[in-house]
Amino acid sequence: MRITTARIISQSVFAALFLAFITLTSLSMLSDYPALRFWLSKFLEIDPLVAVSTAMTTHTLYKGLLWSLVVLLPTLFLGRFFCNWVCPFGTLHHLTGWLFHRRGLQAKIDANQYRRSAVLKYYILVGMLVAALFGTLQIGLLDPLVFVHRAFTVNVLPLLGRPVPALELPGGAVLGGGRLHQFGWILGFAFFVLLTLNLVRPRWFCRVLCPLGALLGVLSRFSLWRIERDPRRCVNCNVCVQGCEGACEPDARLRRSECFVCFNCIEDCPHGALRFAFLPSRASEVTGPDAGRRGVVLAALSGLFFCSWTRAAGKTTRDFSSRVIRPPGAVEELEFLERCLKCDQCLRVCPTNVLQPALFETGLEGLWTPVMNFRIGFCQLHCTACGYVCPTGAIQHLTVDEKLGLGPAAEQGPVRLGTAHFDLGRCLPWSKNTPCMVCEEICPVSPKAIYSEYQQFLLRDGRKSVTAATANSVTLAETATGVDSTGAPCRFVAHQFRGDETASYHVRTTPGPAGTGQSVRIADNNVDTLALAAALEEVPPPGTEVGIYIEYKVPKMDTSRCIGCGLCEHACPVVGDRRAVYVTPEGETRSEHEGAADRNRSVRLRKSL
Amino acid sequence: MTETHQQVPPAETGPGRQLSRREFLLRGGTTVAAATATAGLAVWLHDDIGTAGLAQPRPATIKNYFAAVDYPESAPRVSIVRDARDRVDGMVGAALAPLGGIERFVRKGDCVLIKPNVGFERDPRLGATTHPEVVRSVIRLCRRAGARRVLVTDNPIEQAAACFARTGIRAVADQEGARVVLPVERYFQPVAVRPTPPDPARNEALGTWPILWAPLEQADKVIGIAPIKDHNLCSASMLMKNWYGLLGGRRNQFHQAIHDVISDLGLLVSPTLVIADGLRVLIRNGPTGGSLNDVRPAHTLVAAVDQVACDAWCYENLLQRDPTRLRYLELAHRKFGLDAYSQSRRFGRHDWREYERTGLLVEQDLSNRLA
Repeated sequence: MRITTARIISQSVFAALFLAFITLTSLSMLSDYPALRFWLSKFLEIDPLVAVSTAMTTHTLYKGLLWSLVVLLPTLFLGRFFCNWVCPFGTLHHLTGWLFHRRGLQAKIDANQYRRSAVLKYYILVGMLVAALFGTLQIGLLDPLVFVHRAFTVNVLPLLGRPVPALELPGGAVLGGGRLHQFGWILGFAFFVLLTLNLVRPRWFCRVLCPLGALLGVLSRFSLWRIERDPRRCVNCNVCVQGCEGACEPDARLRRSECFVCFNCIEDCPHGALRFAFLPSRASEVTGPDAGRRGVVLAALSGLFFCSWTRAAGKTTRDFSSRVIRPPGAVEELEFLERCLKCDQCLRVCPTNVLQPALFETGLEGLWTPVMNFRIGFCQLHCTACGYVCPTGAIQHLTVDEKLGLGPAAEQGPVRLGTAHFDLGRCLPWSKNTPCMVCEEICPVSPKAIYSEYQQFLLRDGRKSVTAATANSVTLAETATGVDSTGAPCRFVAHQFRGDETASYHVRTTPGPAGTGQSVRIADNNVDTLALAAALEEVPPPGTEVGIYIEYKVPKMDTSRCIGCGLCEHACPVVGDRRAVYVTPEGETRSEHEGAADRNRSVRLRKSL
Repeated sequence: MTETHQQVPPAETGPGRQLSRREFLLRGGTTVAAATATAGLAVWLHDDIGTAGLAQPRPATIKNYFAAVDYPESAPRVSIVRDARDRVDGMVGAALAPLGGIERFVRKGDCVLIKPNVGFERDPRLGATTHPEVVRSVIRLCRRAGARRVLVTDNPIEQAAACFARTGIRAVADQEGARVVLPVERYFQPVAVRPTPPDPARNEALGTWPILWAPLEQADKVIGIAPIKDHNLCSASMLMKNWYGLLGGRRNQFHQAIHDVISDLGLLVSPTLVIADGLRVLIRNGPTGGSLNDVRPAHTLVAAVDQVACDAWCYENLLQRDPTRLRYLELAHRKFGLDAYSQSRRFGRHDWREYERTGLLVEQDLSNRLA
């Protein structure tokens, strides 16, 4: 078998694995096949740049990130084999470049010439790593594996459904078909643009932008093998350049940091002048990247000030957005920003679609990190899937007991994402004389955080003047205090005030918003007389005014019970720009942590008595 | 410019070239055809009034799943079984026996749709959802009666797949060879519950509404199995309320007139059979529950062909509340009275004691029966 055939098989296998893992990332697959937990974030765990940069921000190597050694160690021996043998994003670029390949030998050779722009990726790497040293993890913006996971999650896979049909997986998970992601179109567009840039130059992203490629390029200086040209056999025909994926000049002094070890040059050479050689001489190669010292210093300086630049907005501390609710198990905000890759695998696995990529809600550095949008979903009570797939521990892996404060975790109580509040001006019972109470119905904790009490509200045109009254009935003037909305005199429809268990009607002898005095339920009514369910203590004399009130349940919040799951906000029937009940991060458990940037957020609102 | 005036030969290209008749007809004809087609398409698509593109497809109507059952007037309408030891298989069989057994309801080759209440992602012990063992024995009975296919569906409040998994319904469906139909968007379709728009003054809530249609369309028979539980707003969620799980759209608006909608739901589906799961009754903190303290084991199953009477009996005997004060029972009674089919069968009674007097309500206690 030719070595390039082996390479194509390897690329296909890893691309297929990537597609399989990301499509299988769903709660039902995780619960049906627990063994998948080991595999689902594997491509992110083997990413050496993820390991190196999170080690810089957190000074630890989180759980599965030890797997990055399976890429790091071979790179030290063989060079950047990862780029052209494993990387699924690289394979996508390779494939696009192949589909739109140039015609003619000279055009091919021109397309694969080394260009100075290749140095950009080293500056990007330096800037991002220095930023990481000072506490903000940004490599995920361009790291190829993180990028491709994010793009597939928020925009590529959701494209299924129309016009291509959505795919139903065993166990009920559906691929595509109605997954919603705010700003997903931006990432979808970026993904499309990066792929089309292969038409301008093959492997443009890999050669120019990829910070992982840059890291591996730097490490490849230690490799023991590389492509070597035999000048005695070489006739300088340049045919070797026509298929060169890395644009690493195999026809001259090999640029070892750019070589993807694709072996196309060896296959293409008509004179057998190229081979993969053990310890060839340093003189016939360009060992390191041609990054200039001043450029590196500039890049390092930008990384150095990036953190203070973005945090000057105050979005991580005192001006923390009231809309930012992090997933259950998320660590304190500054630690979160040290760990979150923006790979958005939590979004992918979330069964309710509540997790969304942030734009600038937490400042520039929080771009594409997960936040909850309760208009789209809610946090499912017994689900901790986001913590299972998080490769870096930005979302800690909780058990259901830990999340809900049950069993062994009863002492510390449930994990609170925030606290729900009512907007009384929008709430149907509080301001619109309409019974509702969906929020209480749906509140999933026991006892419910949302409870209810009966309150009375004076009806519009509820003041009526009495013409006759006994202890058990009140007759009201036909046209009492005015006319109704159509201009007709206020007459009653028979049984209008009979009421039911949801809402009942009452008469008060002293009408007013805070009516004092006795309130008696109306049992029934005819066109002008109310029959009362109980006797009036003071019979109102004719000519005086009484008030007709509606009585029903209004919602109240016991903040000490609320866990911020957002089910109430999701289900609230007041569907405008803001629901009548909504969750803010006050009381979130993760800010109780000692070093929290803003511990005020963890302070729970006092339980009202 | 030259002085001599030469004869210019006919050119191949340029202003003076000779145009053949053939080329003129071919190219000119193509242009005229394209222009005609464009104009024709525009005229064909033209909507003079401007509303032709807004016409809605005709809504579907749900068939009556009881119509095919040959049910004698004299047979009991409500059959109650208690067993302190909760031997569910025996209880289901015993409850169905006075109604004529499963064979009266399910024929060989039928497609049976079972509608449990899987509204929330809760452990079955918490009483917020239909107990899976009841579903299991009903699936088994249907299979034994020769059902070709058994479907199980619901449109839960919380995430569907998780609800079916945690309530144990999916596991029993898988084990017994029934198919769980998850509520995918394309399964919903507008259904005309009543031909006219709903009139709130007459306590009507549903006109045309998106319904989980695909499984209903396939089914020959529909069996509702609902837990008996407390409800914060309408006091109790029982058998009629169970059909709420077939509604799609923004159904939470119905809570503003919840008794109207529940009594409408009784008319939305005319089920083949309903079974009340009173094994573990959620007596407070409903409809979600979440604590074993909210649950009272009542060891009871009720099979019925009259869901209103069944609700009334359960409300009084399992939740121990007064059914004359439950508004939706009264409304349902009134609405069923207007419904010609139900009226002819005298179904839809909210005073279950009437059935007790006439022998249409039977009770059994299996607690002392040997296994």
